[in-house]
Amino acid sequence: MKRSFQWLCLALLPVFAGCETDDEFDGPSLNDLYGAFAVLSPFQTSADTVDFSSGSAVHFTAEFSKNVSWILEVKGLESGAVKQITGFSKQLDATNSSWNGTTTRLPFFKSEACAVMLRFEAESDTLFDTLFVSGTRNYQGLLLSDFEGVANPGWTSFVQSGADMSFGIQTSGTAAQGNGYFDIGGAVSWDYLIAYLFMPATAYGAPTFNLSSNPELVYFNTMLYKPENLNNGIMLFQFQEDDNQDGVFTPASEDMYAVEVQMNTNNWSQLSVKYSDLQTLVNGQPATPNGNGVREPHKLNQVNILFLANPATGYANARLDYMIFTEGAALEP
Amino acid sequence: MQSRYTAIFLLFFSALLQPLSAQEDRKVSFTGLARGLYFGDRLSQEGATPDTVTPPRLNSGHVMVDLGVNIRPNKNTEILGMVRVRNDYGGFWGSGVTFDVRQLFVKGVIGGIVKYQLGDFNYRMSRYTLWNYNQEVIGRMPAVFQQQTDVINYEHFYENDNSWRQQGASLSFALVFKKFLKELQVNAVTTRVRPSDFNQVNDRLFSGLNLQLVQSKYLNLGFNYANLYDVAETAKNNVGLRNPVLTGTVNALYGNSHFTLSLEGEFGRSRTFYVNSTEAPDWNGRFSDFNLKLAQPKWGVYLSGNALQIGSAFRSPGAQTKRIDFGQQALAFSRITNNQELRPYTMLDLMRESSFYVMQLRPFLMEFAPQYDNITPFGDATPNRQGAIIRLGYEKKGQPVKAEFAHYALQEMRGEGTLKPRMFSRNQLMVEARLNEYFKNWKKRFHLSVHYRSDKTTREADDLVRGVDLQTEALSAGLELEVLPSLDVLFGIQTLQYKGFDFTAVRNNFSEIFNFNEFEVDGNEQMLGYGLRYRFSDKTFLSAQMNRFQNANALGTLPDYSLNQFMMLFQLKF
Repeated sequence: MKRSFQWLCLALLPVFAGCETDDEFDGPSLNDLYGAFAVLSPFQTSADTVDFSSGSAVHFTAEFSKNVSWILEVKGLESGAVKQITGFSKQLDATNSSWNGTTTRLPFFKSEACAVMLRFEAESDTLFDTLFVSGTRNYQGLLLSDFEGVANPGWTSFVQSGADMSFGIQTSGTAAQGNGYFDIGGAVSWDYLIAYLFMPATAYGAPTFNLSSNPELVYFNTMLYKPENLNNGIMLFQFQEDDNQDGVFTPASEDMYAVEVQMNTNNWSQLSVKYSDLQTLVNGQPATPNGNGVREPHKLNQVNILFLANPATGYANARLDYMIFTEGAALEP
Repeated sequence: MQSRYTAIFLLFFSALLQPLSAQEDRKVSFTGLARGLYFGDRLSQEGATPDTVTPPRLNSGHVMVDLGVNIRPNKNTEILGMVRVRNDYGGFWGSGVTFDVRQLFVKGVIGGIVKYQLGDFNYRMSRYTLWNYNQEVIGRMPAVFQQQTDVINYEHFYENDNSWRQQGASLSFALVFKKFLKELQVNAVTTRVRPSDFNQVNDRLFSGLNLQLVQSKYLNLGFNYANLYDVAETAKNNVGLRNPVLTGTVNALYGNSHFTLSLEGEFGRSRTFYVNSTEAPDWNGRFSDFNLKLAQPKWGVYLSGNALQIGSAFRSPGAQTKRIDFGQQALAFSRITNNQELRPYTMLDLMRESSFYVMQLRPFLMEFAPQYDNITPFGDATPNRQGAIIRLGYEKKGQPVKAEFAHYALQEMRGEGTLKPRMFSRNQLMVEARLNEYFKNWKKRFHLSVHYRSDKTTREADDLVRGVDLQTEALSAGLELEVLPSLDVLFGIQTLQYKGFDFTAVRNNFSEIFNFNEFEVDGNEQMLGYGLRYRFSDKTFLSAQMNRFQNANALGTLPDYSLNQFMMLFQLKF
């Protein structure tokens, strides 16, 4: 018994020996919550000039005294495009501030000088730098049109004889991408239809568009613009499939899918829709397809763009830019 | 193993049996308590602008009786049903009268071997599995104040043995061995902590198992399992708490006529997780707490040392649930000043207001008041502590004086919001004396008690973050002097001073820290009480007393104020 007790006492000695603390702590960092903020290393870009067309990227560096919520904005001085990157960290580096030329707020960046600004949610400090973009991103996909230059001669169109009609590629004003965009507008008091533009696959040199057969992979993308004071425009995109591959779309027996957009977002916005999400629409309501009911992007033989407005609402206007099919993901402008 | 099994009776609920011991031959007997309590308060504020909104006087009180019927249908079975009739002052002609069932249980012995109890009962296990720690600051007060705290404790079934009131079933039995081992005691319990609402709230149960292996009077080993858990399919919510705690205990004694050396220890681990939840954490915590005590029986002197490590993830709801819910608001003078600002709780409120106290185990770490106790807010089971406690004391059988000095040197095992741990230091002195026993032929009561506690919490400042420095000093002194037969003069003073700064953790429903608040105090509270108590018997007394409470706070917008309290209490136990 005595010996057992002695052993127990010996076993206890290490317990009395000393205290060690964990090398991690509970809860958020007090330094982050209550510590004073300071910029420990200056805000800089990793390169003065970047060419995104070659696949290059640029990142930003800075170091702070504590973790902070930061907002990094790159603004194109010519285009007005804005790229925003946000984060919560003690430093900026390639892992959290890399930029490959994409845009957060349209339009697209151009080859231009950019102002870079770093601000903080809970601090008054704002840091600045500049960057020159010598080349813009290249986008993979089937480009229907970037509306630069003249219209594709294979397109067909119809324009009502209403008032203040506009229909065609414009270069005045700000485009979403480049310098040109397609402008549609007018007041038609007797019909919803203001104008349409048909883009047949034959205008691109083939009976059908060169797209994947998997509708889950194919995305239709375009940039849309609505003037701030007009809310009555409706943009209807129709996708005609030549189900029987006879070179002719037969409405009564073949599929036509569509997506309808109420033009209620001011300025430029992006429309991206997965092909498998397209619906057959009759007067704006989903309906049963007339063909085999299978979404087959590789049998798409024409894209129709119809601009509509309630005749009672008067003048309507919209712009289109950079219309492209992408595969695997929606377009990241 | 050749052993002979013999049933023995464990003292599972012997306390409840004691009042009935003289009536064991009766099949029906009565037990209970009657009480009349009256408070008359007057508030005085020291603000520059007189408060014309708050009524300065407040009267309250009640009279009540708990009437229990104890039935013994046979020698092995006992049934107790107790009802409460209560009438708050002002509730005339029955308008304020309430009738409640206060407790109901059945207990007995099966086959002369297994003791069982069904219904309401008090239960405790070890200090780290199921233990109802005393409330801060007012857990041990001079007699003049303790009367009010005793009322609170009775109302919430807080017994001196630190047991929790539970509702469920328990059983116990023991096996006695012939050789090597003396006996093996087995205790098991399951209680319902929370009922299902049949929608999103599941039934929550507490189950415990205690095995106590008594080798001899020199060695005693124990095993404890406690689990707070939700019962699946008792509601539509499939997320369920599981909080098992597994501990081992050791009690060893060695000694002779010159000294005794004893070792007491408990160690174990816990796991806290929620089934079918992706948001809840899965925590594994450990702890160990060993006490080595050297005593000289002849001199009555002892020296003991504790070495403890309680992990920051150690969770034991049975031991970490606090008596006081500091999220509550005082009911008396809840708003003061012309702006009717909320009056923060004080030790006076905690001493007498029932609404602060809880009766059910909580699955999370409750709020606590750093100015009252920043070192052991959850008792010995306070998580995230490590260090040593040294005690030097004097206590000798038959001697009228006992005293103890304790020093705590603790620190966090894991920093909160920083790698630097908080450091805790506590000095505590207790002296209690029955002074009349020093004088020959003085048979009347003359008791003196002094308690002093000084706490300090520190943490070094970072370059960018403020350091922690919070100090609390609590002093209480009490006197009981019997001036005429059974008539005592009572006097007591209790002061509490706190000053400093700390960051308090803000926790979510899973007790995870997600934020810190800055906490700064600079104030003091003082209670001075005196009165008379007439003891009709050991179980019956009438007491009248005056208390003056003063509160001063250098921070905040509330003015200093004082509260004069007149209290009259009559209590009869039967």
